Amino acid sequence: MQTSDVLLVEDNPDDVTFTQRAFKKNNFDNRIIVAHDGPAAVDLLLPLAGTAPLQPLLVLLDINLPQMSGLDVLRRLRSNGQTKLIPIIMLTTSNDNRDVLASYESGANGFVRKPVAFDDFLHAVKSLGDFWLEVNEQVPLQDS
Amino acid sequence: MTNRRRDARVGPEQLLALIDNTSAVIYMRDLEGRYMLINEEYERLFNVTREDILGKKDHDLFPVEVADEFRANDLAAAASGGPVQFEEIAPGEDGPHTYLTIKFPLLGADGAPYAVCGISTDITDRKRAEQEVRLFNVKLEQRVRERTAELEASTKELDAFAYSVSHDLRAPLRSLHGFSQLLLEDYSEQLDETGIAHLRRLQVNASLMAQLLDDLLRLSKTTRVELRRQAIDLSAMAESILRDLAAEEPDRSVKLLVAPALSGDGDLHLVRLALQNLIANAWKFTAHRPTAEITIGSTVSDSQTVFFVRDNGAGFDPRFKNKLFEPFQRLHSASEFEGSGIGLAIVQRVILRHGGTIWAESVPGVGATFFFTLTSSDSLPAAKDNDAN
Repeated sequence: MQTSDVLLVEDNPDDVTFTQRAFKKNNFDNRIIVAHDGPAAVDLLLPLAGTAPLQPLLVLLDINLPQMSGLDVLRRLRSNGQTKLIPIIMLTTSNDNRDVLASYESGANGFVRKPVAFDDFLHAVKSLGDFWLEVNEQVPLQDS
Repeated sequence: MTNRRRDARVGPEQLLALIDNTSAVIYMRDLEGRYMLINEEYERLFNVTREDILGKKDHDLFPVEVADEFRANDLAAAASGGPVQFEEIAPGEDGPHTYLTIKFPLLGADGAPYAVCGISTDITDRKRAEQEVRLFNVKLEQRVRERTAELEASTKELDAFAYSVSHDLRAPLRSLHGFSQLLLEDYSEQLDETGIAHLRRLQVNASLMAQLLDDLLRLSKTTRVELRRQAIDLSAMAESILRDLAAEEPDRSVKLLVAPALSGDGDLHLVRLALQNLIANAWKFTAHRPTAEITIGSTVSDSQTVFFVRDNGAGFDPRFKNKLFEPFQRLHSASEFEGSGIGLAIVQRVILRHGGTIWAESVPGVGATFFFTLTSSDSLPAAKDNDAN
């Protein structure tokens, strides 16, 4: 079942706090589920048989993650039929061209650099939420 | 040895005089390898006399390997029927010497060879010089390879460093800025005005440092990107930069003078970056002028096109002109003119990467002029110089 959940894949607890705050301040009442590393995110979205997978409306994915990088997570999700169409936005500190390019090449739907100033960050999250949570037509559920 | 004779006839004596007065070694051997004749230079070099050597063979005079080679070459020349050139090595007082030798057979009435003549010129010095050049080139290539490897390694290191700067140093700044904000929002009742002001200062500085990091990265990028030269219309480029600046601050009245048809040869992206910084500087430092004036033009110096950006702004103290292009050097206080002091460092790097030069002149309070070239002064001058101001 698709939900209105947002999966935030983020290892930095400060950034988790800011993202949650930004959602609240922008009046997005979607539940934010946090995965603190790549394997945790993959476990939620592609669990072992017997567990219901998380079907979020949007995944916000950091690049610089321990163990499995955000790009690795992205490629893993795109290579699986169940997760290949989930909207995934890279939300990261990097604005390195190679990271941006690799993200798009690996199937990211967008790339947002986290601004240092909190009001800029608020604004970025608002734009993201307005589009992906409100305006954008969701991927239709397919008959299984 | 030589006798002065008025006789115009050329006989054996004259011919002997000819072969004796040369720096080449000349000799004649029969087909058995026995000496028939040597010249004075031969006598001098190998410390033998013409009389003593008659009937002797090279094997009586030289080490066997040397003699074997001479003999083989004699036979080759005899068999060829005409002159043949060889490089031969013979022992000398200071070690082996290399000779460029021409050997040719003397043919009898029946057309068969009966002797071989040799003329050998000592080319040891030339060979040594050639060898030195070769060795030098090998060393040079080796050094270039080493330096390239070093450069590649340091570029990689710089890349890794830049990447780390962009990631690892920004995250803590975001925390500083963000938590200051959360304090302001959640605990504002427990903070007086001073406390709030302190938090705002914290935020301003976190943002400033983020800007500095970005600038630093831009600076390192200008050093790393590949240079692609092409013809550039600098007049059009300057005008578009000025249009952008004027659009950002429509209230400012600045008199803009861009010389027509300024053209240069350089990397489009990098040159734009440099010009952008120079013009933005001129724009910034004329902010307090009621009638600001920015001129972009070129002159020719030593048949080289020198571009310039001139303003009638605040200028700088010429005593500090060496510091102008150092990263994060600021010659004005932040309250007077804002900026991180990275702009001119970027400009200088761009110009240096083009092999050009950049310098500046100023009278404080009157204005500043920045001059730059896009080619090195020892390279050929541009095909067409645009002279305008």
